[in-house]
Amino acid sequence: MAQIPNLDNAPVNLSSIRDQSQKELITILKSIRGKKCLVVDPKLGGSLSLIVQTSLLKEHGVELRHLTAEPIQTECTKVVYLVRTQFDLMKFICSHVHNDVSKGLQREYFVYFVPRRAVACEKILEEEKVHHLMTIGEYPLYVVPLDEDVLSFELDLAFKEYAVDRDTSALWHIAKAIHKLEFSFGLIPNVRAKGKASVRVAEILNRMQAEEPVNMSDVAVPEINTLILLDREVDMVTPMCSQLTYEGLLDEFLHVNNGAVELDASIMGVQQQEGKKMKVPLNSSDKLFKEIRDLNFEVVVQVLRQKATSMKQDYTEISSMTQTVSELKDFVKKLNSLPEMTRHINLAQYLSTFTSKPSFLGRLDMEHTLVEAQSYDICFEYIEEMIHKQEPLVNVLRLLILFSVTNAGLPKKNFDYLRREILHSYGFEHMATLNNLDKAGLLRKQESKSNWLTIKRALQLVVDDTNTANPNDISYVFSGYAPLSIRLVQHAVRSGWRPVEEILKLLPGPHSETKRSGFASSPSYDALTGTIPHMDKVGDGRRSLVLVVFIGGVTFAEISALRYLSAQEGMAYDLVVGTTKVVSGSTLTETFIEKLG
Amino acid sequence: MAAVSVAAEWQLLYNRYYRKPEIYSMQWKNVDLSRNKVACAPFGGPIAVIRDDSKIVQLYAESALRKLRIFNSAGVQIAETVWRNPGGRLVGMAWTDDQILVCITQDGTVYRYNVHAELIEPNVSMGQECFEQSVVECVFWGNGVVCINEANQLFSIPDFKNPSPCKLADPNLEELPLCAAVIDPQYTMSGNVEVLLGVEDHVLLVEEDGVQQLGVGVGPFQKMVVSRNGKLLASFTHDGRLLVMSTDFSKIIFEYPCESALPPEQLAWCGMDSVLLYWDDMLLMVGPYGDPVRYVYDEPIILIPECDGVRILSNTSMEFLQRVPDSTVSIFKIGSTLPAALLYDALDHFDRQSAKADENLRLIRSSLPEAVETCIDAAGHEFDVSRQRTLLRAASYGQAFCSHFQRDRFQEMCKTLRVLNAVRNHDIGIPLSIQQYKLLTPSVLVGRLINAHQHFLALRISEYCGMNQEVVIMHWACTKITASLAIPDAPLLEILLDKLKICKGISFAAVAAHADKSGRRNLAAMLIEHEPRSFKQVPLLLSIGEEDVALTKATESGDCDLVYLVLYHIWQKRPALEFFSMIQVRPLARDLFINYARCYKHEFLKDFFLSTGQLQDVSFLLWKESWELSKNPMASKGSPLHGPRIKLIEKAQSLFAETKEHMFESKAAEEHAKLLRIQHELEVTTKQAIFVDSSISDTIRTCIVLGNHRAAMKVKTEFKVSEKRWYWLKVFALATIRDWDALERFSKEKRPPIGYRPFVEACIDADEKAEALKYIPKLADPRERAEAYARIGMAKEAADAASQAKDGELLGRLKLSFAQNAAASSIFDTLRDRLSFQGIS
Repeated sequence: MAQIPNLDNAPVNLSSIRDQSQKELITILKSIRGKKCLVVDPKLGGSLSLIVQTSLLKEHGVELRHLTAEPIQTECTKVVYLVRTQFDLMKFICSHVHNDVSKGLQREYFVYFVPRRAVACEKILEEEKVHHLMTIGEYPLYVVPLDEDVLSFELDLAFKEYAVDRDTSALWHIAKAIHKLEFSFGLIPNVRAKGKASVRVAEILNRMQAEEPVNMSDVAVPEINTLILLDREVDMVTPMCSQLTYEGLLDEFLHVNNGAVELDASIMGVQQQEGKKMKVPLNSSDKLFKEIRDLNFEVVVQVLRQKATSMKQDYTEISSMTQTVSELKDFVKKLNSLPEMTRHINLAQYLSTFTSKPSFLGRLDMEHTLVEAQSYDICFEYIEEMIHKQEPLVNVLRLLILFSVTNAGLPKKNFDYLRREILHSYGFEHMATLNNLDKAGLLRKQESKSNWLTIKRALQLVVDDTNTANPNDISYVFSGYAPLSIRLVQHAVRSGWRPVEEILKLLPGPHSETKRSGFASSPSYDALTGTIPHMDKVGDGRRSLVLVVFIGGVTFAEISALRYLSAQEGMAYDLVVGTTKVVSGSTLTETFIEKLG
Repeated sequence: MAAVSVAAEWQLLYNRYYRKPEIYSMQWKNVDLSRNKVACAPFGGPIAVIRDDSKIVQLYAESALRKLRIFNSAGVQIAETVWRNPGGRLVGMAWTDDQILVCITQDGTVYRYNVHAELIEPNVSMGQECFEQSVVECVFWGNGVVCINEANQLFSIPDFKNPSPCKLADPNLEELPLCAAVIDPQYTMSGNVEVLLGVEDHVLLVEEDGVQQLGVGVGPFQKMVVSRNGKLLASFTHDGRLLVMSTDFSKIIFEYPCESALPPEQLAWCGMDSVLLYWDDMLLMVGPYGDPVRYVYDEPIILIPECDGVRILSNTSMEFLQRVPDSTVSIFKIGSTLPAALLYDALDHFDRQSAKADENLRLIRSSLPEAVETCIDAAGHEFDVSRQRTLLRAASYGQAFCSHFQRDRFQEMCKTLRVLNAVRNHDIGIPLSIQQYKLLTPSVLVGRLINAHQHFLALRISEYCGMNQEVVIMHWACTKITASLAIPDAPLLEILLDKLKICKGISFAAVAAHADKSGRRNLAAMLIEHEPRSFKQVPLLLSIGEEDVALTKATESGDCDLVYLVLYHIWQKRPALEFFSMIQVRPLARDLFINYARCYKHEFLKDFFLSTGQLQDVSFLLWKESWELSKNPMASKGSPLHGPRIKLIEKAQSLFAETKEHMFESKAAEEHAKLLRIQHELEVTTKQAIFVDSSISDTIRTCIVLGNHRAAMKVKTEFKVSEKRWYWLKVFALATIRDWDALERFSKEKRPPIGYRPFVEACIDADEKAEALKYIPKLADPRERAEAYARIGMAKEAADAASQAKDGELLGRLKLSFAQNAAASSIFDTLRDRLSFQGIS
């Protein structure tokens, strides 16, 4: 099975987007004749693996390398860099060139920026006096489809850059990506945004429409009816909780990267030499995975057991009795799903070694206690002890963020105490990490009373009688906690912001609701009608679409919750998720960790 | 009858009719072609005229200085200028495809003029060798030229869009070739120009990298000309024969012996069917078969080859010699009874209210659509408007009786003719035939019109043909700015905006850039204001020095790249302090600057923070540097205890202390410096470089692991490490070195402040059941006890403890973890029943 997901069943034509990106990359490679060494920024390498097969690159005379500080070892005289516009990467490139020059190597250099050229990066090349040696170009990769219903802008640092460094480049990128989608699928008539970054993206999007309008006459009915933009900042509680869906848990423990996990081959039952790693692709091309990815892990175990039993039964039947040809055919068909069965049974078994640990269960307990926000002291002591035991810093910070967010910050005494304990336990270099978290408002001093309890109650975030096997609410993904972000989406889709305005005011950042049309010169602010007009169906009977964009990342558990919503009866829309990156609490927290050293 | 008179003007060449209508009588006065050098552009383009300095002519009340005059094809003057160029005689003059007049003088200088007789800078030279050995001959094609100099060397400019001369292979000639011709690069195999030189009895084909001998014995040739498609060559031999051959000399198509052995003054292709030869007062048209046609002229003429004929320019008139199109022949040929002719005739009867009209129509009923089509086509070929009208009326009359006819054909033709008639007007003077128009394309025509400053017509045509008007309006606006030096900015802006708004999405930035180039910075600023696309607006604002506005606009756009663009610009131009104060008030610009500088301009960033009083940020930078120092071996010179690293941290600490809000950071820096000192000391005393840059907790653990309890204690007191943390650290450290006795002693030192849980956990983690059992009973909470027992697999004890805690949920969970163990599992069940809790899972 390929890591590149099959997009045939996507609610909008996502394959065309991917094909376009593929074509653009090949055009770049073709424009440079002969053999070349393609040096890819490692982060981009992951995104590219969702767009082109490596074999296709090889067909175009490419020798593939990852960009690191180490000089490039290659026979090729043409070196092509494919990089995001990050300053540190520029330094690598400069050092490579300097190294070649000092060795008297004559090479042709090409630098392709993703998604576009950046003045600041070129400035560095100029200052290092290598700019004139380079041919500079751009590769406009703004969006990567991760699956039938998930688009990623591949901006894993977006949240940190925006919240800490106040660098808004990512917002422009997101707006541009959405605007590009609009060129394919029509101008999105309804835009709802919550959070400072989201409102800004909506603004930039409108500016872009004014600067380079999407021609309405090209697309009869816009395929995407509504765009919902949400800041991660609005809901920092959800990502910090441990995800309990199958896919979410896989991400928590094994780290899903670009639609695949990498683990020891022995775990997957493959007999190979010790320590050999293998990649297991995870996307909806795998029928069984599509069925179970969004379920609560408890249920997954049951489902797998059931399937295994029924298969075993079939097998006994087949060996004991004579069968008709068609029955045999059915059986063989079932056998086809055997590899998928084994794959997921292996994975689930491996996962349960983590989930059955008392430390994990204790942690889940603590997360619930934190979300309930009723027992301050127990939480405080638990976190204090974690620090004393020098548990991995990320785990500590995840709970601390949860603690600080639900309490609107910590009282100064506790705040300073815990920070000091962290510095003492993990080293003073983490001053930068603490500073980052403070700037982003994730771990801060209490300045006002927390309104978390009000929010929790009003949005019914904690649901007591959650049935994970036959869920009747999105709270199943966290076994009792309904993700705040998805609650907001639920409201936004159903009736717009208006009915929840009071609650929105309690959450960070402004909100906006805009109606746009291709004809009016300026979009009018629509405060009166919050409801979505009755244009629910696109011409050919398909459901129309809502694009939900998370600025700062989304977790698999939230995506599962959205899929659950989308599958509900009475839901008029298909939901497609856009995100700066699929994150887990840990990967999100890690972006804030910065050592001074 | 009208039809008869039409055909009476035709001449028959073998079986083909030719006609030569006058399209203009020239509007100019006192232009004598024989006294002048004349260059006429094809496609009805302009005519450049300058007194020929290679001839001796009499001056009539005119200046001795020569004037270069440019006329349209109707002889209306467009522009003139005095020729003051040095460089000797003017050797070659011709129009390029882009309607640029190229003049080449003896010394090899290439002067280029636009249609307004304005010199286009810079002048180009054909090179040193042409400068020293004068140019004697120039042969032009579409967009290029080949020059021959006195040394018989060949030089070429292959494309005037990028005028760089190159030298062709040297043919090594003793004397000047008899004649020369070129084959347009687009028709050659190599894609480079090929020059044909008539030498002795053969032809030399010269390319960039080689010379080839062709057609030995066929010549000598006095004159040669290549057909439009580059396939055929017409040549005039020394013995008075006209030879038409393929350009590769593989075969002779036909040969015609002329009465004179004197070479003609001009030789030209008329379309692809016949060749024209012009001597003094006689024009001879020769086709492959039959007798040639003769025309007599009593004034000098110039032949201007077009794709479908030849225009003939004389002092008084402009004629167009062309083969009569088939459709026209079928209607007007004397005695024609073809359907189209009958249809045309029917209209005539209809106009005269004669019943014969109907009779005619009935005759051709079945082929009526074809007849209509022919009439429409014939109309397109006419220059005479009334005849166009009559033909179209005939078509329209016939169309009324056709049930299935593509009506767009008719409309299309009307449209085309309206455009053609408009540009054929004397004032515009572009006598395009319909074939030429199609070859040229409407957009090029519009381009030529705007170059000739006929903006209004260009606009109307592009509107009429449904083309984008942006090009026209943009060009108009720029021209208007150039031409309106006297109009003040505000009213001029009004005038411009009035027109610019016609076209949606037009680039105001481009117009503004032009205004700026024309020295109207203020107007430029006003125009940029209207540009909606910030990525066009911002760079321009910078170029006109509006840095403040540029920064604002860039920030508004949300495009950080633009903000950076402005930042670097200001950074470069302004003194640092001014730059600082400018960005200090703009958060986005400031933050982006900080991000860049943090990565790349550390010292400069420090200056910035100092200038804005952000001392804590300076401290952070210093602190960060302290780590960078530690990686640099050169910096660790001197005593580590007072090394530069600690100094930096202390400096950071004192800066933090300046502000009350940063007490925490200040304290941390202080502790950090202290820690480093202690760690250095420890490294000295233990002679092990394992302490520096580990955390306080790690330092304590390392000390204990090394058995240096005194040092561990010292660190503990020095940093006021809490008892709680101390216990965790020490227990884990002792477990690491598996010193279980020490651990037990430690547990008995005093009652541990956080109970015995650390001891239990450490033992279980180290897989020492027996050790763990020492502490488990001491756990205060029965729940903790139950779980601890469970972890070391003692089901019974775990169950007891759990039941003591009266915790059903716990029991359930424990049961799950003992699921494999049937005996244990039953214990839990009984206990749970006894507790009579509701079933869990």
